[in-house]
Parts: sequence; structure tokens; C-alpha cells
Amino acid sequence: MKKEYSTPALEVLDIK
Amino acid sequence: MSTTNILSLDTVLTQQPGNIASDMDGEKVMLNVKNGKYYNLGEVGGEIWTAIATPAPVRSVVAAIMQLFEVPAELAERDVLSFLQHLLDEDLAAIADQP
Repeated sequence: MKKEYSTPALEVLDIK
Repeated sequence: MSTTNILSLDTVLTQQPGNIASDMDGEKVMLNVKNGKYYNLGEVGGEIWTAIATPAPVRSVVAAIMQLFEVPAELAERDVLSFLQHLLDEDLAAIADQP
């Protein structure tokens, strides 16, 4: 059973 | 700094060293030790990241995503190429020598 797809995005988190 | 690379399905990419990745609630979160930034790759992005743990051509990354997710080939190709370009721009991945 394949998983539901969503467009991948590279999110830069605001943690330094 | 952004670099411009022309990616094709035959381009071989691999992870850059110096990143600590962890699974959080099904999503891949990563710390780049070099620049101190945290990234959320998400679920699909995490699988793409895993697929380039060792040098791999883009087409094999696309195939891995299509095996795991319900996605048409054309969309998978476009999204994987775009995501990998972002990884290159952030210096998280690198183009490897051809095997």
C-alpha cells in the first residue's frame, strides 16, 4: 500500500 | 549563496557530510552543523534525503519515491529535481562523480 503523496519542500526552521 | 546546477535524471548526487538528521513524527528534521540551520524536509523530502545517503542518480531517487508514494511519474520527476536543487543550493547535497 503506497502512502499519500505531497510535494516535498525544504523548510528552513527559525531556530539558530 | 545560490549555485546553479543543471540537474538531469542521470546526475548522481549524494548527501554532504556534517548533517544530523532525525525522524520527528514521520518527518525528517535536520541540523546542518556547518551553518547552524535547522531544516524540516517533511516526509517525502526525508525519503529523498535517505535515497541519496550513498551516491545515487536522480532517476533512482524518482523510482524510490514512486515505489513509496502514490504519484505519477511526471510529477515525481519534477518535484524530485526541484527538491534536489534546493538541497544543492543549501549545500546539503553535492553532485558526485559518476559511478
